[in-house]
Amino acid sequence: MTMTMTASEWPSSRAALAKRVLPYALLSPAVIVTLAIVFFPMLQAAWMSLHDYVLWKPNAISFVGLKNFFAAFNDEVFWISLKHTVIWIGLTIPSQLLLGLITALLLNQEFPWRPLARALIIIPWALPSVVIGLMWVWIYDSNYGILNDFLLRMNIIQDSVPWLADPDTALYAIILTLTWQGFPFFAVMILAGLQSIPKSYYEAASIDGASKWRQFWHITLPGISGVLVTAVLLRTIWVANSIDVIYVMTGGGPGYSTYTLPLYAFVKARTNLDFGYGSSLAVLFTIMLLGVVVVYLRKVGKDTK
Amino acid sequence: MKKSLSVAALAAAMFVCGSAANAEDTVKFWYHFDNADNPMADLVSRFEAKNPGIKIEAENIPWNSYYDNLYTSIIAGSAPDAAMVKMHAQPRLVEMGALEPLDDRIAAWDGASDIQENLFDLTKGPDGNQYYLPVQYVVLYLYYRADMFKELGLEPPKTCDDFRNAAIKLTRDTNGDGRKDVYGFGFRGGKGGHDHWGSMVLSREGASFDKGGLTNDAAVAGTQFVVDLFEKDKVFPPSAPNDGFKEVTGAFKAGTTAMTIHHIGSANDMVAALGDKVSATTVPECGGGRWTSFGDESTAVFSSASNKDAAWKWIAFLSSEGNNKEFNESTGQLPVTKSDSANWTLHPKRFVDATVASLPFAHMLPNRPETSDFVNTEWPVNMQRALTGEITAKEMNEKIEALFNH
Repeated sequence: MTMTMTASEWPSSRAALAKRVLPYALLSPAVIVTLAIVFFPMLQAAWMSLHDYVLWKPNAISFVGLKNFFAAFNDEVFWISLKHTVIWIGLTIPSQLLLGLITALLLNQEFPWRPLARALIIIPWALPSVVIGLMWVWIYDSNYGILNDFLLRMNIIQDSVPWLADPDTALYAIILTLTWQGFPFFAVMILAGLQSIPKSYYEAASIDGASKWRQFWHITLPGISGVLVTAVLLRTIWVANSIDVIYVMTGGGPGYSTYTLPLYAFVKARTNLDFGYGSSLAVLFTIMLLGVVVVYLRKVGKDTK
Repeated sequence: MKKSLSVAALAAAMFVCGSAANAEDTVKFWYHFDNADNPMADLVSRFEAKNPGIKIEAENIPWNSYYDNLYTSIIAGSAPDAAMVKMHAQPRLVEMGALEPLDDRIAAWDGASDIQENLFDLTKGPDGNQYYLPVQYVVLYLYYRADMFKELGLEPPKTCDDFRNAAIKLTRDTNGDGRKDVYGFGFRGGKGGHDHWGSMVLSREGASFDKGGLTNDAAVAGTQFVVDLFEKDKVFPPSAPNDGFKEVTGAFKAGTTAMTIHHIGSANDMVAALGDKVSATTVPECGGGRWTSFGDESTAVFSSASNKDAAWKWIAFLSSEGNNKEFNESTGQLPVTKSDSANWTLHPKRFVDATVASLPFAHMLPNRPETSDFVNTEWPVNMQRALTGEITAKEMNEKIEALFNH
């Protein structure tokens, strides 16, 4: 009441102006911070990607147009990394989703200690990536690792397998690690979705004689589809960009066998100090990821509405 | 006129006040020690007591990102005033204009004559100026398990053939469970392993980093020798392609490998784990010659330093008699001063002997900007690909030759 009183005392145009400016004024601190730490580096990366920008040659920075991008298309390592990135996303996300879904369905049942189980399941998600990386390096170790020890005792393998030093297994070993790290996110999100489905639907369905499977297919899945779409989208972006676990476990090796595009961009910029080429790889990957996200939202986002 | 005079006087007064307030010059110094406790503190306090008015801010930067941090700090304008530096970084630092030439200062310094012969020549800059002041050095040699050699009636290997034969015999199952538990040689396939490769490849007649130096038959045979040791003879642990310093020294100390190549810096650790069972000899002669890596470490003053005299005083202090000994007792490497080397007792004699015996054929990597990429990415990536059969030995050598001769 007092607000309107004071406002009406002002000349009406000033009041209107203040009213229009206020939201921007309130938003500006957040926007300015975002501009400074997200958009400015993004523009800088785009600018660098068009230049020969090698950090240790500060006097030889020159504009080269799209040279770095053409170089990437002719670079064997770019294609190897791209292939790995596709495998990396294509395997990690469905495995995390499936494992998360099963976990959520289990945790949605009534059983003693359920709150404790729900709390424990979040542990892999809560651990820092570096700790997870180091932990799994030990699990996979060919001399002392528990995985080899277990498989040897079970007589499944005859000689210990150097999981991370063999180019045929290294990438999949890391994907398994990442699946383990990320599935609790899906579990928690899906669990929240499950609990928003009214119990009466299931009661009605079972009175009509629907089997458990049909209940799952026609009630549970549609009920959590909104959550699934968002969770898959978020995880895809995170997993695509995540290099910390790979960096800790193999650093990209052996050879290029665990290089993904973001890791290749990072190694080029940070280790080889070639910020021009590194940035062009990052820009390329951003564009590709953006394309995937747009297609996904058009296709899947529409279906669920 | 009067007005400008008084302005000048005011400015002068301000300048005096300013410098009086800043009477204590601070030298920001970066270094890297594997040793977790801070052995710099004593040296710093002794230096500060001797040089009132100079304050040393010594910072231990983790080794894995040492050069990443150094280059980026130089670009960002926040470089240290002085730092520990290795030869492979020098061409880049010179190209960046980041280093201060030290020739005049060294010429006027009493301690210069106490630095071991040749060290100044070895560390000369690519343009002929002296930017580096040596502070410690090591030479790589072969560590071997004397007890295992004795048990199998083997002699320390003199040639690559001896080495291969010994490695094959040493690779065995010692506890009778049907699985190999000792491997002949702990090969470092990860970053830093070019030293191992170099001893078996660059030793060969005709092998070098010049054009045609790695693609000739002798050099390709050298890389093939390394690949065969892993793929055919299976004398390296299966994890070799990814192994770094930690894994290689760890496996040797744990008795999983019977030989490896490293320098005196790890001698005391090895003796602590294995006692008299570990001994040392020079790397074997491979293909007509010997090649081992000279591990250098120097200090340098940066061109951006605010007080170069103070920074020089500090690094000269570290390379002077007594101080250099104390410095190397912390790092476990060898002193560069003649006087400190004469009464060096930190390491068991057999390791110092192996180092001295290795000096005649100790080499450094090319003094070129490409060397950093060779060490950090080109060598490890291509060695790993060759070891795992993704590329041939020849292709690996071609990639490295292309890096240096583009």
